[in-house]
Amino acid sequence: MKLRHLNAAGLAVLTAAALTGTAMAAPTCGADPVVMNAYFETGFPLPSKLAEEFTRQFPNVTFDIKEDQFANMMENSPRILSEDNAPDLIRLPSMSDLVANELLANLDGYFTDFGWDKFPPSQLIQLRVEEGGRPRGAGSLWAMGLNYSMTGVFYNKELAAKIGMTEAPKTLAELDALMQKAKDAGIVPIMQFNKGTGGLAFPLQDLMGSYGPPEPINDWIFQKDGATINTEANVKAAEHLENWVKSGYFAADTNAIEYFQMMSRFTGGEGLFMFNGDWESGNLDKNFAGKFGFFLMPPVEAGGRHAAMSAPLTFGIGAKAANKDCAAFFLDWVATNEQARKINVEVGGSNPGGPADLPIPAVTPGSVTEATLAAGNVVATENGAMDFIANATGAIFAAGWTPELQKLVGGVQTGKGLIEAVQAEYEKELSR
Amino acid sequence: MKGLTLDAALARLLIVVLMALTLLPFLSMFSAALAPSGSYPPGLAWPADPQWANFAKAFEVAKMDELLLSSLLIVVGTVPLSVLFATMAGYGLAKFDKGRGRWFYLVFVLGLTLPFEAVITPLYYEIKALGLLNTRFAIILPLIGLYMPFGVYWMRTHFVNTPKELSEAAQIDGASEWKQFWLVHVPLARPAIMSLAILQFLWTWNQFLLPVVLVQDPLQRTMAGALGAFQGQWGTDIPLLCAGALLILAPTIAIFLIFQRQFVAALLQGAVKG
Amino acid sequence: MTNRANQIAGAAQAAPAKSRRRGRGFDRQAAIVALLFAAPAFIMYAAFVLVPLGMSVFYSLQRWDGIGKMRFVGLNNYLIVLTDSDLLQVIGNAFLLAAWFTLIPVVLGLAVAAAIREHLGGPFGTVTRTILFLPQVIPLVAAGIAWSWMFANSGVVNQTLRGIGLEALARGWLGDFTFALPAVGIIGAWVLLGLCTMLLVTGITKIDPSLYEAARLDGAGAWDEFLYITLPGLRQELGVCVTVTVIAALASFDIVYIATGGGPGIQTTVPGLEIYRLAFAHRQVGLASALAIFLMVLVLVCVLPIQWLTRVRR
Repeated sequence: MKLRHLNAAGLAVLTAAALTGTAMAAPTCGADPVVMNAYFETGFPLPSKLAEEFTRQFPNVTFDIKEDQFANMMENSPRILSEDNAPDLIRLPSMSDLVANELLANLDGYFTDFGWDKFPPSQLIQLRVEEGGRPRGAGSLWAMGLNYSMTGVFYNKELAAKIGMTEAPKTLAELDALMQKAKDAGIVPIMQFNKGTGGLAFPLQDLMGSYGPPEPINDWIFQKDGATINTEANVKAAEHLENWVKSGYFAADTNAIEYFQMMSRFTGGEGLFMFNGDWESGNLDKNFAGKFGFFLMPPVEAGGRHAAMSAPLTFGIGAKAANKDCAAFFLDWVATNEQARKINVEVGGSNPGGPADLPIPAVTPGSVTEATLAAGNVVATENGAMDFIANATGAIFAAGWTPELQKLVGGVQTGKGLIEAVQAEYEKELSR
Repeated sequence: MKGLTLDAALARLLIVVLMALTLLPFLSMFSAALAPSGSYPPGLAWPADPQWANFAKAFEVAKMDELLLSSLLIVVGTVPLSVLFATMAGYGLAKFDKGRGRWFYLVFVLGLTLPFEAVITPLYYEIKALGLLNTRFAIILPLIGLYMPFGVYWMRTHFVNTPKELSEAAQIDGASEWKQFWLVHVPLARPAIMSLAILQFLWTWNQFLLPVVLVQDPLQRTMAGALGAFQGQWGTDIPLLCAGALLILAPTIAIFLIFQRQFVAALLQGAVKG
Repeated sequence: MTNRANQIAGAAQAAPAKSRRRGRGFDRQAAIVALLFAAPAFIMYAAFVLVPLGMSVFYSLQRWDGIGKMRFVGLNNYLIVLTDSDLLQVIGNAFLLAAWFTLIPVVLGLAVAAAIREHLGGPFGTVTRTILFLPQVIPLVAAGIAWSWMFANSGVVNQTLRGIGLEALARGWLGDFTFALPAVGIIGAWVLLGLCTMLLVTGITKIDPSLYEAARLDGAGAWDEFLYITLPGLRQELGVCVTVTVIAALASFDIVYIATGGGPGIQTTVPGLEIYRLAFAHRQVGLASALAIFLMVLVLVCVLPIQWLTRVRR
């Protein structure tokens, strides 16, 4: 098994070398009219805004965009990619199974053509998958990030002032104390979604990062041999989350709150904290300037290592797509074009990635975006980036995390039971 | 005894309550549809500043005109053929009211309670093999097949109860079997055929599972399938979602109100016989 | 009605005489013609129902991800359907849902029918029929969307509870472990209520009024009348209601897909949704097919006894 992987990797290197040798010009979208078949996630304007700008710069390229909610995307993407009119650009919830089923285009050739070796290698590591679908984190490149997002804790500045929170908590215990204070003051401590998809995965993973190192979690997500999510640290994290539920830190109807209801209620002033990603920074800065702040999940002990879920906004190209070259050109353009990078930060709120020597577009001082970008640097220096625990397999979110987290909120599952159930589901899926 | 008895008055009161409960979700959607786009309005409240433009926006983003056309094409592709085939088969199989050949009819009847979910997976691979995924034929062809059990059952019941003297008379005149069928029996069966057509129109228009699985493009779907896609894309904006849902419902409701008598009769009979 | 029956009886007597005269050769020819008439229907039925059904059975014996090679696993998938605790809960959910889909419309419909016991005529009758039938003509998806909104945090249900001082009862209905399934049940009941009510109201007008008069002369109370005249008299209509509602619940998909997506946990997941997920999202085509065949048999097993019990002997 190991040997075969080595061979495959060797072959890939050879192919790449051969391609560099011929020194072909990087692919473009050409001059003929192209209609890009795109499948994006509902409610996030960034990809469409980028597509708009792209069409402005390359008028022969237009986009036929279909959007669907994340839960539906998870269900639909294998089927849509296996059909003849597979999307040229598709937002990927998780990649391993799609690679295993040969539904995604291999981007190694484009990596060479466009010189993506100038990107920091760590940026692309989550997008690499070995032949056969596992493990992830090595092997060929199968997708690119539109940007590189990160999660943490957003807080309502007005409510924070009310309970006397003057600075970000430095330890988990301080965070707990703030929540209790909020609860005592009649404020909902955490506004979090958990309907449709299990939004408690965000605080859970943040807690995992507080209790233990990110590496074993990444190994599990990347499906490395023998990796397990059922570790002492993770069980403690899940039990801590269970305590939050039992202490009434979440809104009573958390299981009935969908992502966008959460956003609407949190921005409407309900809830002190929200565990979410920097993809909302742009939205918060634009529509609610000065009202919200952001901090990284504090470690258990002061001065400990910070860890955060930090993943590319993953976009792939269908193996059966009609306009692969143009799609790859678009992905390169997103990372390198000045205007695109500006849109990426303003609308997306996240780090646009791309070549290490390109500057990050300027942001307003004191904005949420500034805070999240700075937090991203902290995570990078402390090497605390984790992929999203829901991306471990194609079905683990829908069949593992979501129902079990809903059960946790419903009081019919314990933290320990949750971790065990998810690990069992994971093993069941890998054994197929 | 001109006035209502106490019982009847109570019954009427109960009916009025039931009617109110039936209408309530529609009213709630309507009030939400008039709230500012992107907001979370209360369940039922007349908005201070009704946003009628939400309907225009929903019409535009849902591409209502194209949706209507798509649904119409699917209905036109499905219902006439399906009704014709069912009528022919009902007529043919009515001749086997006993003995041999009855098994043939039983094969159809067995499909009466078949949940569509039971065949949706293989249908997907079948339609894929035929190269018809993402086309309206992916909905039309399976629907015709899936409608056969009820259609054949419905029409056979009608023909079994048709006096035989009629066909006897036609036979003596030397008319061919097809002519008898087409000129004598079909005109006589008009009420049954009309009801069947109404039911199948509704079932087609409201079909959801087939488009969800077999057709990704909302513009190639039925109304219900398109509504599902609309919810996927705009479900995050309650006022817009409600406006769009009401718009998508409007044609059905309009047709229903116009042909109210026929619809109710068809639905009642359809339930009894189905 | 009697006229029609006589005609049929007459025709039935005439027919054998005819065929005897024409002999066996005609029989075969007539049979061929009859079969030709049935051919188009049969071809479509075979192509898009019987063949897929056969394929379903075939898939159900395999382990297959829908793309790679199939592997024969015998009845293993059926074993999983019958033993996996999650799948058993999913099947159980369908029955719980059937109770909601059936009981509410039948009980309310019976109440209305028993109280009114006359034909609903005039404009009131027309308005009633039209409004009560509205949920029958709209897509179930729309019912799901409308009721998701009714049950939402700020929706009518919570608004009403808060309005009458029952704030403590307000909750996120569709995300509540106890109330999500009943909430979905209420959506189905709302859809089926009008149909059942009108069926039962129509049915009750067919009961001979002299039965009630006789009962009253015998000193029977309203409850006795209901128990011994109304219920037996409505047997056929009740059978229809229960059949329609039970099938709607066991084979439900649209409403659940839209309103809860099967959550919270798997509290409202029904077989139809699970088949869809297994086959297309989790790529377990074999298991999905086994569940599909199981569901088909389940519906038959539930519906046949209802039909048999409520059959009207002629």
